[in-house]
Amino acid sequence: MKGIWWKLAGAILFLYVLIGGITVPLKPGITEVSPSHGYTGTQVQLDITGYNTHFAAAGDNRAWLKLDSVLSIPHSAITADDDNRLKANFVLPQGFASGDQTAPLTLIIDNSMDGVFVQPNAFFLTRDTTSNNVNSGGWESDALKGFHHPSGLAFPYRSILNETIRNTFFHVALWFAMFLLLIAGVYHAIKYLRTKDIDHDTRSAGYTRVALLYGVLGLITGSVWARFTWDTFWTQDIKLNMTAIAMLIYLAYLLLRTSTEDVDKRARLSAAYSIFAFVALIPLVFVIPRLTDSLHPGNGGNPALGGEDLDNTLRLFFYPSIIALTLLGVWMASLLIRYERLRYKWTFKT
Amino acid sequence: MLLLACDAGILSAQSASVDFLRSTGKIYAVVAVIVVIFAGIVIFLFRLDNKLTKLENQIKNEQ
Amino acid sequence: MNIVRIKDIFVKDVTIELRQKYAVGGIALFAATVVFIMYKSFNNINPREWTILLWIIMLFAGLNAIVKSFLQEKKETYLYYFTLFDPLELIIARLFYNYLFMLLLFCVVVFFLSLFSGYPVKDSALFFGGSALGLFGISVIFTFVSVITASGQGNTTLMSVLALPLVLPSVLLLLKVTAVSVRLISDTAVTEDLWMLAGVDLLLSGVLMWLFPVLWKS
Repeated sequence: MKGIWWKLAGAILFLYVLIGGITVPLKPGITEVSPSHGYTGTQVQLDITGYNTHFAAAGDNRAWLKLDSVLSIPHSAITADDDNRLKANFVLPQGFASGDQTAPLTLIIDNSMDGVFVQPNAFFLTRDTTSNNVNSGGWESDALKGFHHPSGLAFPYRSILNETIRNTFFHVALWFAMFLLLIAGVYHAIKYLRTKDIDHDTRSAGYTRVALLYGVLGLITGSVWARFTWDTFWTQDIKLNMTAIAMLIYLAYLLLRTSTEDVDKRARLSAAYSIFAFVALIPLVFVIPRLTDSLHPGNGGNPALGGEDLDNTLRLFFYPSIIALTLLGVWMASLLIRYERLRYKWTFKT
Repeated sequence: MLLLACDAGILSAQSASVDFLRSTGKIYAVVAVIVVIFAGIVIFLFRLDNKLTKLENQIKNEQ
Repeated sequence: MNIVRIKDIFVKDVTIELRQKYAVGGIALFAATVVFIMYKSFNNINPREWTILLWIIMLFAGLNAIVKSFLQEKKETYLYYFTLFDPLELIIARLFYNYLFMLLLFCVVVFFLSLFSGYPVKDSALFFGGSALGLFGISVIFTFVSVITASGQGNTTLMSVLALPLVLPSVLLLLKVTAVSVRLISDTAVTEDLWMLAGVDLLLSGVLMWLFPVLWKS
């Protein structure tokens, strides 16, 4: 069978992403710390709840509360209740140098099985009214060292996202695949206007239809994801609304295609419209969202995936996922195109 | 009274299902997303299948 | 391409429009009626409603006006134009005519809105400058869609279905710029929005000029 290799490649890559994306574990993280605040000059016992941790199994747990890049408090006593629960005692110092009444502390935990992991703003240290605005005893300035870095594949832990970080491979990759398919559609639209070969119009329509399917799936999966991370199906989020507009534009494209029976006219009009719509879409999807705060990862203090935060382990599945979804999309589009060709041939034979 | 009880039952069932989906680090949100993508592809295949059947019938009838 | 001929076509369009007084008067009446209904039902229009109202009226009145711009003339007339002019000259003249019409309409709507509910704009330069930029993009899109509908079935429902989603991004940007000029929100990035509007204008008008000769041949 001619041209089977890329279909097979798409299927195998998708299987790889599906299996790898689900079975690779998450790195350990901290889900809860209580109490979450305390006063200077007191002792505190933190109940720490971890996720994917091995506190009891490892046994050599160490914990710090870190003020800045230099100062930190080591634990005074530590006991592991079980693999996910840890009790750590800290002797809080008499004061700290800061203009604010309260300082956020970062919790760092290290053991031989989980390696080192942190929770920023885990504990808030409030100044006692009698204490002064200087760093007093109790802070240690030695660099923290001796961290463990266990080997093995694991996805990064993000506090709100948790396991849903795996959706990067499915939801986010869907958008990239959609854009690649749209570009293929526009390419054939331009080709059609150049050559007036009706086959290019059939191809352009096929790719655009599958891209639209991906877009709708992207919206649905996005809203499912949002339900579990931000507790809402639809938000004011700029990216979401802009994409919804993009979908409206392409639904109008489908309507336009059904509006005329004349094949040549339909081909010319839809080619022109799809080029125009694609150009109108560029600022919509790439530029405007960057100017405005968004709920999306990477914007406005949300747990980020983009840029430096797209961890190397995520990359290992994210890029293959884009390729796999694009190949599957091209496959689906080619089925549509072949159907349209057959229908075209049949209609004009009789 | 019964209605009220029913309501309460539905409500608690709802929150229970949400909690179930949130349990184990929200892994079921990932499952739901994969199911949606799979369903989308299956719907696409069904529609193409229907279209092809129609074309086949057309060709058969006209021959 | 010839500037003089572009000007000639432009003048011809304007004179035709002026001869049909009902068209211009109808749009003005439409704007006045909508503003009056809103004024009576809201009693008092606050700045937020003022800006939203302005753009909603602009969208629908503009859409109505520009739809006809390619539909009002008969097929035979087009054949005649086709032998006479370069398509590029025709589309540039038509685009500028539509743009002028939108600007005029904008002034009329702002006038009526101010008459009934005051003029809340604090930064007039930003308000008019930003609106002029955005209106250009909107007229490009409306012109393009009216060309498409005219060379298609000439169906006006299709026109609004095609045009409204396409103008939404520009309108959203315009709403933001207007809100800044009314001081509903304070935003330091408003110059970026203006640049974006200008960029969108340039891109879209370029694509329009590239695509029109192809569409025109029918």
